[in-house]
Amino acid sequence: MRLFTAAAVAAMVLPGVMPGLARAATELDLFFPVPVQGKLAVEMQRLIEKFDQEHPDIHVTAVYTGSYDDTNVKTRAAIQAGKPPGAVIMSANFVREYVINDEVVSFDDMAAKDGQTPAAFMAEFWPALRLNAMENGHVYGVPFQNSTPLLYYSVDAFKEAELDPDHPPVTWQDWVDDLRKLAKHDGAQTSRWGLMFPGTYDYLGWITSGFAMSNGGEYYNPGYGGEVYYNTPTTIGAVRFIDDLVHKWKVMPEGVTDANAVTTAFFQGRTAMMVLSTGSLSFVRDNMKTPYRAAFLPRALVNAAPIGGASLILPKGNSPERQAAAWTLIKWLVSPEIAGGWSRFTGYFSPRIAAYDLPEMKAYLGEHADAKVALDQLAYARGWFSTYNTVAVRKALEDGVQAVLSGKTTPEAAMAEAQKQADALMKPYVEQTALKPLE
Amino acid sequence: MLRFARNDRGAWLVLLFPSAAALLWAIPFAWMALASLRQGSAGSADIASLLPAPPFSLENFSDAWTSGHFPLWYGNTILLCGGILAVQCVTVSLAGYAFARLRFPGKEFLFYAFLLQLMLVPPILIVPNMSTLVSLGLYDTLLGVMAPYFASAFGVFLMRQTFRNIPREYEEAALVDGATRLQIIFRVLLPLARPGLAAFAIVSVTSHWNEFLWPLMATSSPSNQVLTVGLASFTSGAEAGSEWGVVAAGTFLVAAPLLVLFVLFQRQFVESFTYSGIK
Amino acid sequence: MRGETVSEAATLGRVAGERSARQGDLAPTRRRAWPRLSAYLLLAPSFVFLIAFTYWPVLRVLASSLTVHRFGTATTIGLSNYARLFADPHFGGAVFNNLVYAAGTIVPSLTLALALAVALRDSTRFTALLRTVIALPLLIPLVAAASLFIFIFLPGGGLLDHYLARLGSGWDQTNWLGDPSLALGSIIAITVWKNTGYYMLFFLAGLAGIPNELIDAAKIDGAGPVQRFVRVTLPLLGPTLAFVLIIALLNVLTQVDHVIVMTQGGPSDSTSLVLYYIYQQAHQNNDLGLASAATVISVAFLFALSTISLRGLERGIHYET
Repeated sequence: MRLFTAAAVAAMVLPGVMPGLARAATELDLFFPVPVQGKLAVEMQRLIEKFDQEHPDIHVTAVYTGSYDDTNVKTRAAIQAGKPPGAVIMSANFVREYVINDEVVSFDDMAAKDGQTPAAFMAEFWPALRLNAMENGHVYGVPFQNSTPLLYYSVDAFKEAELDPDHPPVTWQDWVDDLRKLAKHDGAQTSRWGLMFPGTYDYLGWITSGFAMSNGGEYYNPGYGGEVYYNTPTTIGAVRFIDDLVHKWKVMPEGVTDANAVTTAFFQGRTAMMVLSTGSLSFVRDNMKTPYRAAFLPRALVNAAPIGGASLILPKGNSPERQAAAWTLIKWLVSPEIAGGWSRFTGYFSPRIAAYDLPEMKAYLGEHADAKVALDQLAYARGWFSTYNTVAVRKALEDGVQAVLSGKTTPEAAMAEAQKQADALMKPYVEQTALKPLE
Repeated sequence: MLRFARNDRGAWLVLLFPSAAALLWAIPFAWMALASLRQGSAGSADIASLLPAPPFSLENFSDAWTSGHFPLWYGNTILLCGGILAVQCVTVSLAGYAFARLRFPGKEFLFYAFLLQLMLVPPILIVPNMSTLVSLGLYDTLLGVMAPYFASAFGVFLMRQTFRNIPREYEEAALVDGATRLQIIFRVLLPLARPGLAAFAIVSVTSHWNEFLWPLMATSSPSNQVLTVGLASFTSGAEAGSEWGVVAAGTFLVAAPLLVLFVLFQRQFVESFTYSGIK
Repeated sequence: MRGETVSEAATLGRVAGERSARQGDLAPTRRRAWPRLSAYLLLAPSFVFLIAFTYWPVLRVLASSLTVHRFGTATTIGLSNYARLFADPHFGGAVFNNLVYAAGTIVPSLTLALALAVALRDSTRFTALLRTVIALPLLIPLVAAASLFIFIFLPGGGLLDHYLARLGSGWDQTNWLGDPSLALGSIIAITVWKNTGYYMLFFLAGLAGIPNELIDAAKIDGAGPVQRFVRVTLPLLGPTLAFVLIIALLNVLTQVDHVIVMTQGGPSDSTSLVLYYIYQQAHQNNDLGLASAATVISVAFLFALSTISLRGLERGIHYET
């Protein structure tokens, strides 16, 4: 903390005291979110200080901007106020919207200067990440941190329920059978739930999309920002599964639980399993006092997990010097060493393939089976929900699922309503693109 | 009013109700105090307990202090409240005097224009005020956060009232001595208006210390965050996670200054708030 | 009354104040030359800010509410934003929630505040302590209250559920903020906790202003405690009641910090309030048209409220302890 205040004061004073130095350095601000639990903001500040030391001609100020949704709001506001940040670590699924609204600059030119085509550049990153990073063949988001939902489970709870901790559930049916054994009810009260996962905005949509995709569905149109598939059998089936977890088999609590409540419950042994982002891996590791493991999300028809995480974007409206400086920063942040370090610190997996060739990473994966699970699940990862007006369209679904979680409505009714609202929200975009009549 | 003799059983009964209410009302503060002093809070089963149990430790406070930016937040908040108050003292004294002592056309109309401002508070006008800030180049500055509050209708009314209660003899004496109007206001009247000004200061500082939505919208860099905005990102943000003891400690750090001042200067606070207590 | 050192002005003032508290009648000959210009000059600083940040924004938001942007098309002027606003179920929901919230906060907090003021009217060390405890919440920011209550309302492990479990009530897994039928009630509870003490202070001041002679006279006439309260006290508290009601209504519309920090309008939009809707539309959905239209509606409501209550406001402003 003191280091930070000292650095902040120095940052404010130095330019005045040493004008020569200040004039040479390009000033850059980096907006970054911390959407998962853990001490990520402090680590990011440390990384940025390291970058500044290694690059005396650039001075970056790391600006913590809250959750993914908050970061989106702040970035928008800054762009509209004419003060676009130099770079932003933006939720990967918001990138499309910034492209649609013409608020970001493509990385193609900068990659070209380094001698790479967009395709070659993206080849350095895991295939599943390309969907959210590229739009119409151009690169707009450089993946920085990525996650998938993981199934965390308590070994003690498993043993108590006479389940084998080495064989977590693989299919939904296995899952339900296990959960029914794990949940402990004393009459009307429940001393231990089988499963909990966050039901708050953004998290809920993410997890639900995973279930829908596992149920064979597409959830949204990855190639076009004006179409979502809420009112379809695959999504309805997934929501019905969630509904039954709460109301039929009573292995999950009713209502909306937020991430802090979920982890508190898991740490206190009041839930045997939880679905949470790999981004929280380190946080869970630090705070879970009894043995636990991580596993793939069980599958319905296919194994599938949505990608989560954030990419670095370049807002429009910055000078060429700032853009060049931002590009240097971005390349540094996604270099195998730095990306690998960030992955080990947080629990996010590194989007940069080369990071996994480094010895530190290999050692780390050897020691931490849970981190390896996250990496292995990548083989089944799909893109993250992304449309025109993503947040509102996503909320249309989430409001429906929240109502189902609370027993207020049926999956069918909820999804029909969600689809209606989503279509209304995307209508302005659709009318100008897919449905635009030709002259 | 409901009056009972001191020794009457009824007196006890009447006090039973507010005593119960006070106990209930105190619970959140009690938890805050206890949880912030409790060790090892994340996921511990007794984090919800209202029973103090040693050992006590200050580690939650040090955790909160290091993961938050309290010195910065305190600094910004003091700057914000102080800046607003300073400008307000000038604007409300001048305007208060005009309404108290002068006759001029449109006085009634202008008075009502001020009155209306009591209702059209900045949180309601965030949408257009944001655009105004951007046009003035004040977005993401503390000055931008302060600006909508520089005119204070409540302050004007308070000062009007206060000035009217000061006998004219003082002013007339000063006029005879050849003082200008401004000199009269600042050299003669304001010193005599100290109680009113103090009351105003208390209300102004309290309400701006606790302001959240407008500072949230008008700033984006962390270097411009005030205590309320910092606390919100600290609590609901990921850093705290489920470390409730740290959350309690952080909340205490934000609430403490005003609470302490209130306990020390209770009488003044209470009188200020009831002395037409609109911010 | 005020208890602290009373300034010279106040002592003199009580006598002289009545005499000279009439509009601007100082020595006429010297005054006539000045008043107009100097009055406006004195008012100017306040007015600059008043216009810039209260009245100009009202005009501005009115204009932007009539400006219609649609993706990919040219900007037009029209009422389409209002049409969309009234057709939007989220807005209707927010208005409905706000009405429920208004009733749910105003009725309990005013009743409680009045009852507490009555019960704590006498000033003893003990009552002063109770008054302080109940009034403390008014000093902390609403977001601080929210951060405490996030824990209190935590399902299963939070304060409330923890003690409900001890009581063996079967309610110990209640998700106070995550159940759409309970969430608004929880938000209401926080508001009542925060504001009751504040309103109580006003009622205390109001009660203190009722001359004992009137109460005693009623006693002599044989009126019982309830009758005395209803026939004498309550009517005399009228101005205070009106004033507090206005403040409470204003708070209903303008306090949404807890919604922003705790529930973000959810679950399922059950805690969305009008100001939250405005915030959401403006900053999350970037829909300036909808946000402006909703703002205009709110401002219109406040205008109406102030015209009705101008008398009450004025009297409240002039209230002296």
